[in-house]
Amino acid sequence: MVRNLITKLEEGFLSVLLVSMTLLVFAEVIARFGFNAGIHWAQEVTLLLAAWFVLFGASYGVKVGAHIGVDVFVKLLPQNTHRFITLVAVGLCLVYCGLFLYGSWIYLSKMKMIGIELEDLPIPKWIPMSILVIGFVLLIIRFLQLGWKVVTNQADGFHFADEAEESMEIAKGLKETVLGEDQPQKAAKEGDK
Amino acid sequence: ISAAPVEIKFSHVVAENTPKGQMAIKFKELVDERLAGKVEVKVFPNSQLFGDNKVLEAMLLGDVQMAAPSLSKFQKYTKTLQIFDLPFLFKDMAAVEKFQNGPEGQKLLNALQKKGLVGLGYLHNGMKQLSSSNPLKVPGDASGKKFRIMTSDVLQAQFEAVDAVPLKKPFSEVFTLLQTKAIDGQENTWSNIYSKKFFEVQPYITESNHGVLDYLVVTSAEFWMGLDNDLKVEVKKALAEAIKHGNTIAAQKALADKQKIIDSRRSEVLTLSDAERAQWVEAMKPVWKKFEDQIGADLIKAAEASNN
Amino acid sequence: MTIAVLFITLFGCMLIGMPIAIALGLSSVTTILLFSNDSLASISLKLFEATSEHYTLLAIPFFILSSSFLSTGGVAKRLINFAVDTVGHIRGGLAMASVMACMLFAAVSGSSPATVAAIGTICIAGMVRSGYPQSFAAGVIANAGTLGILIPPSIVMLVYAAATEVSASRMFMAGFIPGLMMGLILMIAIYIVARVKGLPSQPFPGFKALAKSGLIALGGLMLIIIVLGSIYGGVASPTEAAAVAAVYGYFIAVMGYRDIGPMKGIPWQKSGENIISAAVRNVVQMIIAIPKSVSDPEVRKVLLDASKVSMMLLFIIANAMLFAHVLTTERIPHTIAEQIIAWGLPAWGFLIVVNILLLIAGNFMEPSAILLIMAPILFPIAMKLGIDPIHLGIIMVVNMEIGMLTPPVGLNLFVTAGITGQNMIWVIKACLPWLCLLLGFLMLITYVPQISLFLPEYIDQLNGY
Ligand code: NA
Ligand code: NA
Repeated sequence: MVRNLITKLEEGFLSVLLVSMTLLVFAEVIARFGFNAGIHWAQEVTLLLAAWFVLFGASYGVKVGAHIGVDVFVKLLPQNTHRFITLVAVGLCLVYCGLFLYGSWIYLSKMKMIGIELEDLPIPKWIPMSILVIGFVLLIIRFLQLGWKVVTNQADGFHFADEAEESMEIAKGLKETVLGEDQPQKAAKEGDK
Repeated sequence: ISAAPVEIKFSHVVAENTPKGQMAIKFKELVDERLAGKVEVKVFPNSQLFGDNKVLEAMLLGDVQMAAPSLSKFQKYTKTLQIFDLPFLFKDMAAVEKFQNGPEGQKLLNALQKKGLVGLGYLHNGMKQLSSSNPLKVPGDASGKKFRIMTSDVLQAQFEAVDAVPLKKPFSEVFTLLQTKAIDGQENTWSNIYSKKFFEVQPYITESNHGVLDYLVVTSAEFWMGLDNDLKVEVKKALAEAIKHGNTIAAQKALADKQKIIDSRRSEVLTLSDAERAQWVEAMKPVWKKFEDQIGADLIKAAEASNN
Repeated sequence: MTIAVLFITLFGCMLIGMPIAIALGLSSVTTILLFSNDSLASISLKLFEATSEHYTLLAIPFFILSSSFLSTGGVAKRLINFAVDTVGHIRGGLAMASVMACMLFAAVSGSSPATVAAIGTICIAGMVRSGYPQSFAAGVIANAGTLGILIPPSIVMLVYAAATEVSASRMFMAGFIPGLMMGLILMIAIYIVARVKGLPSQPFPGFKALAKSGLIALGGLMLIIIVLGSIYGGVASPTEAAAVAAVYGYFIAVMGYRDIGPMKGIPWQKSGENIISAAVRNVVQMIIAIPKSVSDPEVRKVLLDASKVSMMLLFIIANAMLFAHVLTTERIPHTIAEQIIAWGLPAWGFLIVVNILLLIAGNFMEPSAILLIMAPILFPIAMKLGIDPIHLGIIMVVNMEIGMLTPPVGLNLFVTAGITGQNMIWVIKACLPWLCLLLGFLMLITYVPQISLFLPEYIDQLNGY
């Protein structure tokens, strides 16, 4: 229940970030051509949204297996060896997160101490930059969870994204609709323009 | 006993063959020659280390010791340096130099101290010109046209003063935007217009000399304070010589690049009559008033006086 | 020593199955900590800079979004109908139409496996029914599907542009002719096979039907016109064009084709409805559909899918920028380049090495990851040897296409196996003759740079540069 809610929140937030970036850039184009005007803060905000999108999204990606990696070799190993290697890999991921979390913390503290604002908006710079720390904390949580799953034998690898598998969804949908009713020719009738 | 030499990482964003790049190399040569074993300069050109937006932060973290961003980049660190963005404040580079070397200009080098930075000297690029897809003779010609600016409140106000539309766009995108006519024009120095090939996609360049594009060589206060006094003196001397070298190249390059642009015949260079120029000044001068509180009226007066 | 540490940690991390992004980041940080005195704080700053200072990179999530709106079975169906109406009446026409449909789908989507899945599902079955051998059909589609990354817009090209700071718009222009050419080569090969084997042709449907299916397909195909048109016709930069494409993709999928979202199944004109009342009804329904989309599960799924892929790519790119940073500050490509020049390796010899390296890498890794690791190393060397950066980019993209067809990791092979229900060996055999064609095409692209450079240079000439 709670887990479901958190997933919904994460997914909602990520989608909102992507949509707002897109619409902001779109709005800039419209403003320039439709109204001969600029949105002077648009670029800075878009870029900060992008930083949030990536650094927030990375941990969600670990959770749902959206990252990519090379797992053809480890998959050839016997299951227990595979799990052991995965634990080592998760450990190294945690080292990565730890190093960046430490570095981000120092960077952020320095920015807060100096107290400069964003270029175009009267907001202290450290506030949008805090996603560095937030992002790595979230990433650490997700890797710890993954590690626990491997230890308790609920997972043996990172479960990477598979573009081939995702593409098969399109194929599945098509098989249900088109091949059920046959004849691609018919499709032309449904969708007129 | 010989301690490890003090390392100065000089990070900049342009190529080695530009005035700034040459200045950095000259500085390295002078320091290597005079302070061998005591100070070691490493130059990183072409944004190899950091871009202009992040280099000051890296400096405050102690990972870069020297950089030379354009003066507009300091907007969020101090309001007073905005003086260099004011339109038609200086009539030529001689006036700029006179002001920078005068007591007020030298005092401005310390304007960043509160934010942990120390200015070490000014480096020239040159006077800015206006390029556009239509001929700009009087302020009315710019009305409704879209101009790319760097992030700077003053520059924004400057274009709004002539009813133009200022758009903040990254330097790297300017060429494409001009080429596709997504924006109408931009302001820059002769050498930038030439090196970034803006003249190939802008049929008109008005020799307006309406503003100055200069850089500030900075270091972090923490690093600077930690340096032995005699080293400080030597480094500063070497830097002053290097800047002088860079400025000479910048002046030559501005002239040469202007000539190359004229010779290319890709772009028509327009000059302003005194009467036309007066119109631009009149239209843009209210910007001074607008930023007087932030910059200081006395400072503006002192700068204006350097024209005489 | 530095080179060794960097690459050993990178490949070690990748081999034990770490996410590529983190393998890149961790090997870079380790190298920096061991061999330079940069602080962790400034490395974090660098990572933040990589995620928040690159406006041109934003074209990637925007194109992914537009392509996920249009990578639906419905769009594929419309494009196939148009393709069948156009070339179906030629001998071997159904196979040619499949290639054409792949090219058209490639133009609206950036993904190769999605192209194979969408076009293949309908076309392979259709061809088998019309008497084509299934392996022939599968091989054609798996190969034509790789055009998704060569015909613009292409995510892989944007990644190359990000890694090398080459102009993305020029890359898009450069991919156009090679993409058409590859499609044409496939069609000619099909025609020859069809003549030899006596494969069937379809009846010509008449110009009226052709015009109608063309008009319907145009809804999706407008996307490429919008993208390339707005970049070259002077409206927008690639990033802005991509954002416009994403918004267009939403409108065409939800409001135009109505394959997904709140207007799914609502007809443009009900039987017996007059045009005016249909127009009024449609406008009202479209306006209501915009807020409804926010809670629509299908629209949200498209958004989330696009978010996942974009985030994953941008996170790799951010870490790859750290990697590239280590490469440049340690002057690694420079060292390799000097070595290569000392050996006296000519440009053409270097290109052979590049092709072999990329083909091997293509066996194990995804295109974007390969480009992000290899481009920063190969690019500076190529520049020293006087190879055109755009040409190098197209060579790399064609290599990536081939990588999709080579085992053990070949996305198009997987999808083809999935939709035909055959095993991998069967699929590999089916693809092999066409793969040889693609290898020949790679040679052509490698040693005739004009194929790639003609269009971008011609456009420059038109503008008088
Ligand atoms: Na494409
Ligand atoms: Na492969």
